[in-house]
Amino acid sequence: MLRRMTPYLFVLPLLGFIAVFTYIPIAQSMNLSLREWDFLSPTKPYVGFDNYRLLLDSREFWNALRVTAIFAIISVPLRLLLALFIANQLLRETLVSRLMRGALFFPSVTSTVAIGVVFSWVFSTDYGMMNALLSSFGLPKVAWLQEPHVALWVLIFVNTWKQLGYDIIIYIAGLQAIAPELYDAAAVDGGRKAHVFRRITVPLVMPTTYFLLMISVIEAFQVFTIVDVMTKGGPAGATDLLVNMLYRVGFNLFDIGVGSALAVLLFAFLITLAVVKSRVIGRKVHYEA
Amino acid sequence: MGVEMIARIKNITSAGLLALLGSTTLAAADVTVEFWHSFGGSSGDALNRIIENFEAENADIKIDAQEIGNYNDIVTKLQAAIPARRAPDAVIMEVTRYGLFADRDVLKDLTAYVDADPLKDDLFNFAREVGVYEGKNYIVPFNSSTPVLYFNKAIFQQAGLDENTPLKTYDDLLAAAQKITQTLGEDGISGIAAPGQFARWGLVMDNDSDLIDSVSGDILLDAPNTIEAYEFMASLVHEHKVASPDGVTQENNGRDAFLAGKVGMMINSTGNYGRSTSALGDDLAVVPMPCNKVCAVPIGGAGIGILSTSEQEVQDAAYKFISFAASPESNAIWFSETGYMPINKNTAEQPLAIEALAEKPGIDVAINQLDVARGRPRPPVVTWMRASEYDLWQAMALGQREVPDVLNEFAERTRAEADRLKK
Repeated sequence: MLRRMTPYLFVLPLLGFIAVFTYIPIAQSMNLSLREWDFLSPTKPYVGFDNYRLLLDSREFWNALRVTAIFAIISVPLRLLLALFIANQLLRETLVSRLMRGALFFPSVTSTVAIGVVFSWVFSTDYGMMNALLSSFGLPKVAWLQEPHVALWVLIFVNTWKQLGYDIIIYIAGLQAIAPELYDAAAVDGGRKAHVFRRITVPLVMPTTYFLLMISVIEAFQVFTIVDVMTKGGPAGATDLLVNMLYRVGFNLFDIGVGSALAVLLFAFLITLAVVKSRVIGRKVHYEA
Repeated sequence: MGVEMIARIKNITSAGLLALLGSTTLAAADVTVEFWHSFGGSSGDALNRIIENFEAENADIKIDAQEIGNYNDIVTKLQAAIPARRAPDAVIMEVTRYGLFADRDVLKDLTAYVDADPLKDDLFNFAREVGVYEGKNYIVPFNSSTPVLYFNKAIFQQAGLDENTPLKTYDDLLAAAQKITQTLGEDGISGIAAPGQFARWGLVMDNDSDLIDSVSGDILLDAPNTIEAYEFMASLVHEHKVASPDGVTQENNGRDAFLAGKVGMMINSTGNYGRSTSALGDDLAVVPMPCNKVCAVPIGGAGIGILSTSEQEVQDAAYKFISFAASPESNAIWFSETGYMPINKNTAEQPLAIEALAEKPGIDVAINQLDVARGRPRPPVVTWMRASEYDLWQAMALGQREVPDVLNEFAERTRAEADRLKK
């Protein structure tokens, strides 16, 4: 009996930790999503699925979902393509490539709040560096953070700049794991660079791409800090990503029920997306050459 | 040698033990009041002076003051801290946003404390009123303000405007802002800072309207004069382009640009007087708010409340501090350093206040406006309304939506939310 229990006893402390910080909060969110609460009232009346109905009927929710989807659809492929391209250039172990890797990784370990504040000033319409640069070429100013169609692109740019270094480092590790003999064989066969990249590098780095795809899609749906610091979801909802809306509804508008319903929907959506990705893309990933 | 050494160690140990026991006894006698506030920079320094003076007079009470952020940040953090049982003992609360917390019994009813405190008769009526919700006292005023109109004399001069240029009506403001932008726009100087929320409320009142009626509690967001006021404010940004859109998406940008000498005029709380004089020196001028249709200004600022969850002993200590902070001596420090209005009738007799009034031109503008100052209602829905208004203001000011459409819809939603919160 004790012998059978031993493995479970070993994982029990970790399970307890995960339960306290992950499973119990998820269960509480699910519970709160069925109640009306403002954080302050002693009672939390049960309202059934009213919060979900309210959310699905609201213009804000569909706007936030649309904005988040656009953010993810643009930023994820952009990040992965750029990272793969740059990683391929920095593969050789030279002093310059090591310095470049360090420089590119630096934003990943920099405070997101600090990055947001600095870029808020860089993209300030009247006092920012970007418009000063445009003016020096005689070009008109751009309302980077006030123009709805532009503000989201600015956030995509800043987020890509911050996350790119991490993707590059992971890609470099993946690229270094490819057996050099394959490239030697391709060279003997007279394979062109682009052809080798498409036929050897891309398929063999697929497990890394798949891992980064999973991570970056989840991350894209959870972006909050940059939005909070730079735009607060504005102008007029143009950068109101789902987590920003969740924070605004729950913490600024005192509606924890609707905020929790949004959190549960986001959770369900990400789980579904992960399952679909693993079914559709996961099958095409080969872990051995 | 060895015996001497042992004796010395014994002495040191005994002294250490005594000191430890002494400090433990002292610590046991102390009451610590955790106090959340929103004052940094020179205002934070002034608050620290008041706290130091209080602790010098009350050695058994320690004020653990923590700067949390602006008024919005305090509301957000407080509501998260309450269910987590991490709420402070005392907290600064903006005058229109504490109603929800009072309504939910989060804030302690201070009526008994205030009634027994001689301070009650020393407070100006406008100041005492801001602490009253549903007939009970929930906060004691600390920093009271009204919006005022600041302008940069050097910019006016460069733009060819006289210092006495009339700034009474919306048209006056627009004309001065246009002149500055046309003359100095190429140097990166704009006419006026996009009005922040407090200034917006003030400009609505100047247009003979309000956001919520202070007597009946009716929602007036869709009243014709409110719509007209918002149309004027929005036009400064997207139609006339005399206010930078930077100040629309980040309200502090407008103030920061004014302090940096990049904006000609700014409507903002009198609580910005201290930092404005530090930044602009003699170039700063302060004049009363415009009177477009009527002369009226909102009373803003904040007071200090006590949390119901704190122990009685801590609540008593917290009230002692709150009362001290509103005393003439403390209030004179606060007034002279920050520009917030005196709240105590006896503050004017304090040397610091006399000196400030004599030597700091413009510091009395807010005081002189008090004849036309109005308290604002603070039902629970105001917190929601103010939090929601920012996004809608952006849509209007950046020309993305028509002002009447936005305000009509907003009024409906606010009425619905008010009904929901009443339940």
